[in-house]
Amino acid sequence: MDVLAGLLQGFAVALTPSNLLWCFVGCFLGTIVGVMPGLGPASTIAMLLPLTFQMDPTSAMIMLAGIYYGAKYGGSTTSILLNVPGESASVVTCLDGYQMAKRGRAGAALGIAAIASFVAGTVGVIALMLIAPPLAKMALSFSSPEYFALMVLGLAMVVLLAGASLVKALLAMLLGLWLASIGTDLFTAGSRFTFGHSELLDGIDFVIVAIGVFALGEVLGSMETREDAQVLPVPKGLRNLLPTLAELKACRFAFLNGSVVGFFIGILPGAGSTIASFIAYGIEKAVSKHPEKFGTGIPEGVAAPEGANNSETGGALVPMLTLGIPGSSTTAILLAALVLWGLKPGPLMIQESPTLFWGLVASMYVGNIILLILNIPLIPLFAQILKLPVYVLYPAIFGISVVGVYSVAGSLFDVTLLVVFGLLGYLMRRLDYPAAPLILGLVLGDSMERALRQSLMMSQGELSILVSRPISAIMLGLAALILVLPLLRRVNAWRVKALAENG
Amino acid sequence: MHRHLKTLCAVAIAGLAATTGYAAEYKPTRPIEVVVHTGPGGGADVLARFIAQVVEKDKLAPVRMQVVNKPGGGGLTAMSYVVEKKGEANTIAVFTGNWLTNPLMQQEAKYTVKDMTPIVRLVLEPAVIAVKADAPYKTLREFIEAAKKSPGKLKQSGGSVTSRDNVVRMLLMKTSAANWSFISFPGGGERIAALLGGHVDMMVIEPQEAGEHIRSGNMRVIAQVAERRLHGYPNVPTLKEAGYEIPNIPQVRGVVAPPGMPPEAVAYYEDLFGRVVRTAAWKKYLEDQQFEDGFQKSGELSKFFDEYANRMRTILQEGGVKTVR
Repeated sequence: MDVLAGLLQGFAVALTPSNLLWCFVGCFLGTIVGVMPGLGPASTIAMLLPLTFQMDPTSAMIMLAGIYYGAKYGGSTTSILLNVPGESASVVTCLDGYQMAKRGRAGAALGIAAIASFVAGTVGVIALMLIAPPLAKMALSFSSPEYFALMVLGLAMVVLLAGASLVKALLAMLLGLWLASIGTDLFTAGSRFTFGHSELLDGIDFVIVAIGVFALGEVLGSMETREDAQVLPVPKGLRNLLPTLAELKACRFAFLNGSVVGFFIGILPGAGSTIASFIAYGIEKAVSKHPEKFGTGIPEGVAAPEGANNSETGGALVPMLTLGIPGSSTTAILLAALVLWGLKPGPLMIQESPTLFWGLVASMYVGNIILLILNIPLIPLFAQILKLPVYVLYPAIFGISVVGVYSVAGSLFDVTLLVVFGLLGYLMRRLDYPAAPLILGLVLGDSMERALRQSLMMSQGELSILVSRPISAIMLGLAALILVLPLLRRVNAWRVKALAENG
Repeated sequence: MHRHLKTLCAVAIAGLAATTGYAAEYKPTRPIEVVVHTGPGGGADVLARFIAQVVEKDKLAPVRMQVVNKPGGGGLTAMSYVVEKKGEANTIAVFTGNWLTNPLMQQEAKYTVKDMTPIVRLVLEPAVIAVKADAPYKTLREFIEAAKKSPGKLKQSGGSVTSRDNVVRMLLMKTSAANWSFISFPGGGERIAALLGGHVDMMVIEPQEAGEHIRSGNMRVIAQVAERRLHGYPNVPTLKEAGYEIPNIPQVRGVVAPPGMPPEAVAYYEDLFGRVVRTAAWKKYLEDQQFEDGFQKSGELSKFFDEYANRMRTILQEGGVKTVR
């Protein structure tokens, strides 16, 4: 009953005209930030922070949180339309989203992304509201060995992301793992693979690689064909721009899968929405009746990762609001904001500042509805972009990519790297290497290496720490299963074939 | 008459001094550029934006301060940017301990703070040593004795090996001959989660950050890394009081400028920051964050840079970290 009373109190706070306005402002800014590649919610919130000092902390929090989850909505737009991931968590969305756009279903893909975001965002808030405190305790039992196992599970997804050749997928993944190791080693302060460039000391930003390999690679690859007409078909009529009932029905499980996976991974400080989206996609493909269709543009392939990266927001707020522990750069800034406003984020905050907690929760329900209303009418508008002829669209993609990469750190060196990765993406496309495993390796490599070394430091070099802890043992077991199952299937196929030949 | 002449002379000299003083005085005419090495929201960035806000509110300067983020290279990108602005009077930068320590290990570093013009030192950030509330150690001595009994078994969570957390550990291990391991986590949240989850036994944490975890009964502070007891922790002994006489390694922040900044501009900025640290807003900021006032002017700061680098080099080398300069 506490929850109900709290929620009513929260809605009383969230539905005042001024808070409603701030919620809208946050969601609107978030959508824009999400659409723009390179510009992320963390830096936007930090830049707006000084403006919020004059505001009531609850209103300010409602607005800043709106930017945070609003950006997740917008992130899918450029992934689907242009194959330019707007945010790290939207890379997976490119796989099927862009393929859908190529088949004239861009509007449908955008619609599914918005609906998945809405469903998962709402599920995330409900979970945040109902089970936050006990879950936060559970998240603490996760430590380096468990993170290592989670990353291994993530890497095992490579067999599911592989196209025709598993060997090529593994090679691409190894390249990604190597790229992840560039930079300063946290444990020894030594620099690795920097070749004397100080720009490489912090490693290579994942956005640069993703935009290079996906967007520029795609543009360079398509330019060979020298089409004059528009790139992608855009059907006429509003109805053809929205998802059909059949497409939505196909996504039923994906909505649920994305919501649950995203939320639970979100709770863990140090996992992040990118991993959540990869794992949700992997699970979706593993349980699908037609796994071979993934990557060709099917709605589930959009719904699962988009759902996961939205409910991750609700999850990420759990340790921040209940324990005062930030799990990502964005929540770290939100936490700093709470301190600057004179609030005391920590285990006692829900009891001591109920208006803020419940006001925020209620505003997230409202915000998700605002975002849905805001995003659906934009779909036909965004879909028109694809009507542009290639000689306009391709330079535009180049421009957006360069600006996006430059805006991450304002560095021209990064733009040079973008060109290198664009060429790499083109080569990989020509030689039929899948790009997703490369990104997977790059995203997971760093955290995986760290988790392994931390685990071994904890156990003083005993490898058994990885399997003696139940959660990590279970996840490693699952990873082994994912790797072995396709082999068994192949062995079985050989056996059947051999039997048929003999008989 | 003789007396009159004397007065006249004095007036003339004073007048002359005043005119020359006037002629050489520097005043910024366009927004002052404040370089920080983090993205928006990082520690140095927050400090720079706070200073800009104080300057604007109390009208301490005729122009605004504009924060410029130059992230990357573990601070080297921002440092190179400052050095390339040689002779410029309109650019200053917020430095942190990283600027002093990182070039010691980084072959890639082309410049150190010694290449720049020191302006002022602003804050020293103390820390506290925390354990989980249900840990058996009530004092630092109990923790160290336990570490001696089983060398390498106890664990501390912290940042990079060159961070203050690890420097405190190495110094404590050296004076006490105890031994425990140090596990690096990149994010502050992960370090706290590792402690609260019982995966590590101890951590060095900022006093303000520890406050809430103590109040909720999850954490206990067993010592403080500070010269004097902090107002938030009146009953917790400092390292010295706990019987561990180690050099104080503060987390430091202040302001530097490009090489060859004209002396009158240096004087201007010294004066400007002298006025910033006297504002009520600044004093409240130090109080809230439980920072120590570390104000030092250009000349002293230059000496501090040398001492700090030398001390860190020795400590890091003794701890087995490879240094390059």
